[in-house]
Amino acid sequence: MSVSRRAFLLWTMSAAAAASAKASSRPPQTEEKAPPAGTDHAGCLADTTLCIGCRKCEEACNSRNALPRPDMPFSDKTAFRSARRPTDRAFTVVNEYPGAPSRDLNDRKQTYAKVQCMHCLTPACVSACIVGAMVRAADGAIVYKPEICLGCRYCMVACPFQIPAYEYNEALKPRVRKCEFCSNTAGATGANPACAAACPTEALVFGKRESLLALARDRIQKRPDRYLDHIYGENEVGGTSWLYLTGRPGPEVGLIDVPMSSPAHKTEAIQHGIFRYGIIPVAFYGALGALMWRNQRKEKKESEGNPEGERP
Amino acid sequence: MSGHAPQTIRRPFFTPGTFVLIVFTAVGLSFGLARLFNGLAPITNLDDFYPWGIWIAIDVACGVALAAGGFTTAAIAEIFGGHRFKPLLRPAILTAWLGYFMVAVGLMFDLGRYWNVWRPVFNWQGNSVLFEVGMCVMAYLAVLTVEMSPALIEGLKERIERREWGHKILAKVEKPLNLVYSWVKAILPIFIVAGVVLSCMHQSSLGTLMVIAPTKVSTLWYTPLMPLLFLLSAMMVGFPMVILESIIAHKSFGKEQDLGLIGSLAKYVPYIIGIYAAFKFGDLIVRGNELNFTQHADATVFFAAEIVLGILAPLVLFSLPAVRRSVNWLLTASLLVIGGVVLNRINVYVVGYYPPFAKARYFPAIGELALTIGLACGLMLLYRFFAIHFPIVAGEGKTAAVRAEAPHRHVPVLKPVWTAVFRGTAAAFLLGFVVLYSLVHTRAIEASAEASQIIQLAKAAPRPVLDTAAFTHSARPEAYRNLYVLDSPELNRKTDYYEPVRFTHRTHEVNSDSNCAICHHRYAMGPEDRVGEDLNAMHEGIEVRIQGASCLSCHEDLTEKEFRKCSQCHFESNEPDYPARIGLKGAYHRQCIGCHENQPDQAKAPSDCGSCHHPLVPDHKSLLAFAGRPSPSDVTARCLACHEETGADILKTAHWNWQGPTPSLSGKEHSATIGLRNMIDNYDISLAPNPVLTSAFHIGDLPAGGGADDPAKIDCLVCHDTTGTYKRGIDSQWLDLKTAAEKIGRPSRANCGSCHFYGGGGPGIKNGDLSPAMVRPRPEDDTHMGKVDMRCQDCHAVNKHQIAGLSFNAPVVERRAACVYCHGSAPHGIIGVIGRHIDDHVKAIACETCHIPQFARSQPTQMSVDFSAAGKDGVAPKLQFDRPTYDKRYGTRTWGRDVVPVYRWFDGSRQSYQLGDAIDPSKTVVLNAPLGDKRNPQAKITPFKVHQAVQPYDSGQNILAAVKFENGLWADYDWTKAVAEGMTAVGKSFSGKVGFVKTEMYTSIHHEVSPAKKSLGCADCHAPQNVACARCHANAAGMNQPEHTRRVYPETTGRLDFKALGYEGDPALTGGRFYMDLRRGLPPK
Repeated sequence: MSVSRRAFLLWTMSAAAAASAKASSRPPQTEEKAPPAGTDHAGCLADTTLCIGCRKCEEACNSRNALPRPDMPFSDKTAFRSARRPTDRAFTVVNEYPGAPSRDLNDRKQTYAKVQCMHCLTPACVSACIVGAMVRAADGAIVYKPEICLGCRYCMVACPFQIPAYEYNEALKPRVRKCEFCSNTAGATGANPACAAACPTEALVFGKRESLLALARDRIQKRPDRYLDHIYGENEVGGTSWLYLTGRPGPEVGLIDVPMSSPAHKTEAIQHGIFRYGIIPVAFYGALGALMWRNQRKEKKESEGNPEGERP
Repeated sequence: MSGHAPQTIRRPFFTPGTFVLIVFTAVGLSFGLARLFNGLAPITNLDDFYPWGIWIAIDVACGVALAAGGFTTAAIAEIFGGHRFKPLLRPAILTAWLGYFMVAVGLMFDLGRYWNVWRPVFNWQGNSVLFEVGMCVMAYLAVLTVEMSPALIEGLKERIERREWGHKILAKVEKPLNLVYSWVKAILPIFIVAGVVLSCMHQSSLGTLMVIAPTKVSTLWYTPLMPLLFLLSAMMVGFPMVILESIIAHKSFGKEQDLGLIGSLAKYVPYIIGIYAAFKFGDLIVRGNELNFTQHADATVFFAAEIVLGILAPLVLFSLPAVRRSVNWLLTASLLVIGGVVLNRINVYVVGYYPPFAKARYFPAIGELALTIGLACGLMLLYRFFAIHFPIVAGEGKTAAVRAEAPHRHVPVLKPVWTAVFRGTAAAFLLGFVVLYSLVHTRAIEASAEASQIIQLAKAAPRPVLDTAAFTHSARPEAYRNLYVLDSPELNRKTDYYEPVRFTHRTHEVNSDSNCAICHHRYAMGPEDRVGEDLNAMHEGIEVRIQGASCLSCHEDLTEKEFRKCSQCHFESNEPDYPARIGLKGAYHRQCIGCHENQPDQAKAPSDCGSCHHPLVPDHKSLLAFAGRPSPSDVTARCLACHEETGADILKTAHWNWQGPTPSLSGKEHSATIGLRNMIDNYDISLAPNPVLTSAFHIGDLPAGGGADDPAKIDCLVCHDTTGTYKRGIDSQWLDLKTAAEKIGRPSRANCGSCHFYGGGGPGIKNGDLSPAMVRPRPEDDTHMGKVDMRCQDCHAVNKHQIAGLSFNAPVVERRAACVYCHGSAPHGIIGVIGRHIDDHVKAIACETCHIPQFARSQPTQMSVDFSAAGKDGVAPKLQFDRPTYDKRYGTRTWGRDVVPVYRWFDGSRQSYQLGDAIDPSKTVVLNAPLGDKRNPQAKITPFKVHQAVQPYDSGQNILAAVKFENGLWADYDWTKAVAEGMTAVGKSFSGKVGFVKTEMYTSIHHEVSPAKKSLGCADCHAPQNVACARCHANAAGMNQPEHTRRVYPETTGRLDFKALGYEGDPALTGGRFYMDLRRGLPPK
């Protein structure tokens, strides 16, 4: 009895130690995977001070992705009356926020900000997906492969920006829908996404992420009165392909505060901490097995000693 | 030991309770079926913000957690030497087995593509926590099946012995069953350990699942320690679950409770709760600063309930020996632990889940609750089934012992070597699984970019080669100074939804305060220069902004110079060599919109797309399909099928209603019922009694009385036909309306002109400045339409089919059109010094006065008509300007060409004769006099066409008469009858007496704008010496310009009768309105 209790405690402690080992094995910064943002990494720079809310990007997105036409025409500005989010029928939406977009644009009464998939460099949805139906393409686009998707919607839980939408009305073949950087149409990866091509004021600029960062810094430097000295997406959740320049704090225009490292780092660290080379499970198995073998042998001896099976 | 061997239970399966469970299960599964057929939306309250509801929180997360009794009991009974707990093992394993089975079943309803559920077995994704959960759950279900199989085989063999239902078939497979039984027995220990390891792995991973959502899970629960807390809480709930089951099972099957066994099991519980509580509270203390108890009230309440009822209360209860000795107290305490863990899972997955941007909180739908309850009931049914038919629950007494021994008689005893082989194989299998599994993770670690290799970078679209030849279009129409066409073939090649924008320097120069550098910010120094010099820097120290003529005051030759186009520097956005330079599209739009947004009058400086760009109409060929030959109404129906709102828009327009607001009509400013329907003119008198004639001019089937509301009666083609083949009133079987509909487009001058060029009943009769010649006018006929091919709607701007501009005698207003909208209010400055004097005239003189010196220049217009002469046969008509001077239907007519207008002061308001107004027949009746005089600062001297008529009136009542022409006058020329029918049609009484009265009608002149050199010169109105420069500027050298002697129409004398207009004499001498400007003073006498 006392033995088994001690053993039980020992076992609990070892389990706890194993579990805490996972938790504490969050890697130091050096172990974090460097975001694979090479020179061929595509990106898009959205400048909220230049957006005029014309919704041309929404229209272009709608036609490029062959989405159903909305009830209201895209020219209808009453759409701004409600704060909208990307849905399974609209991969990008522009929202209107009261107030001037920046300090030097006092005459304007609204700020507009476009919402779409940010195409994270270390995307939580890709890390979360159980089968790898969310894939990060070589140029940084996060694309979706419906044919292997289970429809578990964990990607929607994982996305820190609340982007993926789901075809809840579809009975048999529902898809997760989101902006795929216009990379799903044939051979268009790396080409101008429809929204950026349609933007009349070039508030959206498509290009290499590196040069866009340089462009953004250049703009901030030249117009310190217009821009906040912060490029949203440069470091947010470990960096995103879409970058935002704003003249007012991000949360005011729908750019929510998120951690500066990818949430996927934490879960992957825990997972890989446990399963690296299978050491912990095998060792745990071995320990339990040995304990069991010892106790079973002891019981065998005891029952041989007491053939009637009587116990105190 | 043997006294507690498991045994089957000799009891009927069906009891009243069972039926209740069956009903609940059936209801739940029917909701589940509905979900399979209709998708998640109708059955659940899930949305994009809450992708996971209680099906995940309860069916999966709680289901897995509550099945923890299986691995905890296995651990204590088999591994840690607690052999006396073995009687509790089989019920615990059965619960776990069924629990995981139900998790799998429940998951099938939640997964959107449940038919892909097997995918994780082949598509390994080592980074995914869910993958780890899924694989472990699958593996553990297999392990549990192995652990269950001895009981299952024993149960089957017992059926054979008892000769129960199915025993004949089972007897045939008894041998293989025995074989399997012995194998399973041999490898069982290996699987028992594997079960514990797998359980620890995925119980913790269920907690790791939510670690990926730091922005969503409430700070009260979110911690990187969640995997450990989930594992510990699963261990914590294991024994209470076993205790609960044992108590319920014994009660349900009427067996005596062995309180000692579960009591001693309960002794461990407070220690486990203590460990969990230590980690839980330790975590809370460490994260103290992050915790936010005030953010979400409901979360705080649930959190407190979880801590107090789920952890503290059972911790105290299980510590008390008295509790452990009472079945009811044990039940209560166990339920508290179980409830606490269930609450924890629901809290983490639902209550504490606060997704950003969500508009409403999630609450489970009926269907979700029903399926969850149904699955739980189904689980109980299955448990009862297995407990009755298989040896699960420990019995007591020797009979049970004997029975338990019985199966062993037939079991072949394996040789030790075979046992070793089987165990080795099982171990190798497990090890292989682990190795493969860790390999996945290793691969995921080492090549996280592995995913990125799946889709290769496709070739970037080739950058279009800049073809400078494409820019050969001159942005400026030939010889037209102010109008520019902003267009770029380069941009159009990518997307071309719009016609080019027409841009006038005149308005923009005025609005930009004559600062050219706002737009022309840099000046390219050569055809290859793509950077240029900053224009402001070039003029440093010089006041660039000079009122009026600006750049021209220094650069006199500027108008002859060739300008660098915007496209010389700007073409594509984000060029690699100079990313900061914006592209052409951005350059245009930012320049325009940047200023337009700051203009107070959005009507004149709009910043929406449609006000500057005319959308190109796409080819409708692929959009339309007609069966057979469509009629006009078929075409309309097809149009409205897509352009749904357009029909409603049109029903609100003046073009449809022929009435509307008339703010400029004196005395009727607030009326909205005046219009073509109820007015009287002196061309064709009144429309209402003559529906056939009238409807030919309507944009659809004319509504009977005021505002019809059937969009199907609209005739789209009359305005939008571009083939020129469609005519209203022609039988559509002669027309190819299919082609007309396919080639639908923006209205051309011909479309508008099909009505407006024929006002008064024939070409050019009514509007002296509009005639069919305007379809393709010569440049000298009209400079806008003839020279730069402007369409009507370029000036008569359209919004939702409401069209700017107004008729003079039926002044229904929707929007306004005016010269100054494009040309600005000081348009002459660019001509030079004298331009300022001409600009001064704009304050007193309408643009049309000088720029339309004559009307009816393209075709003759009717100047008078005498209806009293109608109805005579045999009159030989003379021709005047090729038009007959007599028509039996209308009487005597006179015609005019190149007519000099009549000039009147006009401030925009006017009178208009309305049916029923009294007249004085002894005088000429003016039907619609323009209002305004010299003292009214709004009034300007404006040109008019004045049309004389002799027309019928009711001489009994002294009111003008309405006349029925078609099937009336024209049938028998009986005026009394025709007027009687006409007055009836307009709802007025008629005295029976018809007389004839002289009337005059004004029509304003806006079209046939002549080229600049044909517009009036100074000497056309003023004596040259009166306007000689030297009169005022005697001291300024070189001021004497020849302009003041310019007289374009020497044949016209006395064009402006200054005295009649209210001046003492020539205002150049006596002082006109613009000398009111204080800076000027009066002109010298």
